[in-house]
Amino acid sequence: MVDLVELAERTVKSVMKLGPSDCDVIVTNSTYYTAEIEKGSMKQSSAFKDPGVGVRAFVNGCAGFSSCTGHDLASIQKVAEQAVALARSGTPDEDFKGLPLKAKPTKVAGLFEKRVAELEPADVVDMAISLAESAGLDKRIYSVNATVSAGSGEVALANSNGFWGVQKLTSFDAMAETVAKSGSKMFSGVDGCWSRRTEPKMLDSVANEAREHAIMGLRQTKVNTGEYPVIIDPLSVGFILGSTIGGGLNAESIQRKRSFLAGRLGETIGSEKLTIHDDPTLEWGNGSFAFDGEGVPARRKTVIDKGKLTTYLYDSYTAGKDAVSSTGNSSRGGAMWTFRRPPSISSSNIVVRKGDASIDEMIKDTRSGIYLRLTFDYPNMATGEFSGLMMESFKIEKGELGPSIRQSTMGISMLDLFSRIDMVGKKSREAFGVRTPAMRISRAKIGGSG
Amino acid sequence: MEDLAKQAIDHAQKLGAEFADVRMESAAGIIIVVMDGKTKTLNVSRESGCGIRAFSGGAWGFATTNILTQASVKAAAASAAKMARAARAKAKVKFEISGVKAVRAREEYRTKERAADVPTEEKLAFAMSQDKVMRDMDKRITSTNTRYEDFEAERVVANSFGTLTVTVERWLIGTCLAWAKSDGIVQRGHANSGSVGGYELMRNEVSQNLGKTAAEQAIRLLDSTPPPAGKFTVILDNKMTGMLAHEAFGHACEADGILAGASVLEGKVGEMVGAEGVSMVDDPTVKNTFGYFSYDWEGVKARKHVLIENGELKGYLHNLESGSRMGLGSNGAARSQAYNSPPIIRMSNTYIGPGDWKKEELFEGLKYGLLIQGSQYGYVEPAKGQFMFKCDEAYEIRDGEAGQRFRDASISGVILEVLKKVDALADDFVLTDPGYCGKSGQEARTTDGGPHVRVKDMVVGGMS
Repeated sequence: MVDLVELAERTVKSVMKLGPSDCDVIVTNSTYYTAEIEKGSMKQSSAFKDPGVGVRAFVNGCAGFSSCTGHDLASIQKVAEQAVALARSGTPDEDFKGLPLKAKPTKVAGLFEKRVAELEPADVVDMAISLAESAGLDKRIYSVNATVSAGSGEVALANSNGFWGVQKLTSFDAMAETVAKSGSKMFSGVDGCWSRRTEPKMLDSVANEAREHAIMGLRQTKVNTGEYPVIIDPLSVGFILGSTIGGGLNAESIQRKRSFLAGRLGETIGSEKLTIHDDPTLEWGNGSFAFDGEGVPARRKTVIDKGKLTTYLYDSYTAGKDAVSSTGNSSRGGAMWTFRRPPSISSSNIVVRKGDASIDEMIKDTRSGIYLRLTFDYPNMATGEFSGLMMESFKIEKGELGPSIRQSTMGISMLDLFSRIDMVGKKSREAFGVRTPAMRISRAKIGGSG
Repeated sequence: MEDLAKQAIDHAQKLGAEFADVRMESAAGIIIVVMDGKTKTLNVSRESGCGIRAFSGGAWGFATTNILTQASVKAAAASAAKMARAARAKAKVKFEISGVKAVRAREEYRTKERAADVPTEEKLAFAMSQDKVMRDMDKRITSTNTRYEDFEAERVVANSFGTLTVTVERWLIGTCLAWAKSDGIVQRGHANSGSVGGYELMRNEVSQNLGKTAAEQAIRLLDSTPPPAGKFTVILDNKMTGMLAHEAFGHACEADGILAGASVLEGKVGEMVGAEGVSMVDDPTVKNTFGYFSYDWEGVKARKHVLIENGELKGYLHNLESGSRMGLGSNGAARSQAYNSPPIIRMSNTYIGPGDWKKEELFEGLKYGLLIQGSQYGYVEPAKGQFMFKCDEAYEIRDGEAGQRFRDASISGVILEVLKKVDALADDFVLTDPGYCGKSGQEARTTDGGPHVRVKDMVVGGMS
């Protein structure tokens, strides 16, 4: 069994002998099991073993990165030489002020669950079958497709400032797509869960949501183009905020003036009801870690406080450029981290503060409006304008949830969306790396086919 | 690698697999990113490994290793066979993989100038020069990003029917992004050029003008406004027609979605799904394109797929499994992102065929509509039958004349309706837009294209 920290530290020494000013090394060893169900039948059981090493070296501020699969020492030496050679071939960059100093990783609960790590492929298959069976419990359900994935592994990181850290990580996620049919009408319901652990009712919740929304979607209508209040389901809040916070508050985009949020630090950009944290210490959060992708200890930070923008998301490079401290938002990609790419800035777990309204109260309070459950669109980060398809949405009439709407779009600037939040739900869920309740915005432009 | 692949298959069969196949790969690539005149990323990766699939009864086991030793590969084969056996017991749908002809072939993608032989310094100089073009073009350009990527892999595909194909794959792509700012408004322009082949691509006129094209678009968009929302007649340019083919229809033609009961096109072969005159093709054999391949990732020879002919749905895209289950055989549409991803059904070069209208004729007599140009991204849910795609820029058309410029228009539609609303196809066919398509966590290189087409009653998402 390879000692990943020892290998990372040894590689740092090998790299530094080649003459760069700084370097960091990531060593990973991960295993994933997945099971896929197709139309209710077991389809594929998979096992992935993925050890690897990534080396980043700096010469005159320029970074070179190289990676290889496996832990073979000869390959690692080639990667080290390649990274340094690449760093020498690039342009000098005086904005690079150095990698993070040695620091003690934060103690974070809920990064690793033994139960997930001990799952065998057959266990994952049983979970996927159970998910699909539960999602299909209605005679109108025509097909259920489902996937369950479990990952476990170890990540070691070391740098030339003496930092070293190792963290054991697990991840568990599941998705279900349930297709309902009635006559010529067909609709699908989609739901998923993302965590570092398994919880007893996780899969039931995914199955129930996917099944119920497929059936709800069979009643269909159109909507006329116009302005409506919109209740945004946590699933859509998660998708939209995941890209807006991760991309729009990324200090790289801010410094290069590519984000609509550049120059707005300290300004009120949203409703008093909007408070958002970036929290890598969230217990069992899929984006949680003890240290970030460059070795900075994890810490929770408020990014929007009652509508006021309070910080951008920094890694060591952008922090050095702005003469501030890194916020610990350097990411090595995904819940289980990868050796294949150099680190980049990302949010960890985005947490939206809960309000006091139930979904039922929000719907009842909306005389004529829209319930947006699912979109896979994101805003134009330069302008902050959002214009996207409401993939799954429902009409609200006289305070009641009505039929699903076919072929409709929503258009709004993100600053208007933030400012027009007038109700926030009291129940949160995980959605695409965001723990959030539902929100209502007082109005948005809806393009309809009615 | 061929011997190791054969050993893996033999081992999986010895352990009970009815069918087994292997994708074994040794690959290297470079990514260069220049931002605002400085190198941001210089990334060289080296990958080797194999993915082994074992089939039993109606279910698959798939295992990977990135250590190419006999012991490691055999262990992965045993793991795949074991998982297939366990999965078989739980599979409700039973079938066989049948009708597979053994294919033996070797192909090396031809290049005039192998990218791996071009010094990193020269590639970096190309990226720096394009970045400089953008920054020098106009003082309103505030930020720039140039990305160059090339990739070379030797891939062995082998299966228990005796197939053994070896492909030396080479491709490259260059992309420029420019941000412009004026009066508090920030806009972004982009351009790319990609194909299989060698570094000669970066020396052609399109690649040499990437920076100029991206910067011009960013500047042009500064005087744009958000589009109106509502239902309009739209004229799609070549890129957006390609996006329409890919998103609105191509994904719904993938037979794995049909078998999953998750495509509105299930049972529609032989039915009219488009207006007369509308044809749609997916063709991986078009040379010098980003979506090209000659043998798919299951070792089946690639071929042209006519999906729609004169408005009638003619068939689906198949792999070995869907071809076996539907009794049609594979038509060579299986692709894997890399050795560590199982092959799934994918598009390649997807396009709508040309008509006989002149482009100008599409505008004539159109009292009000929108011209939609340049593709950003799109997505579809074949089970819901809905799709959307987003353009770079749009123009208001009044009485046949293009006027006010809009940005970021998103177009949405219903799969079973949209091609029936096509009322005119121009004769200016171009297969032009290289990019990556994502599905089930895997990326595949693709190209989209077509002529200018006019479509009635499309829902446009806007803010005004």
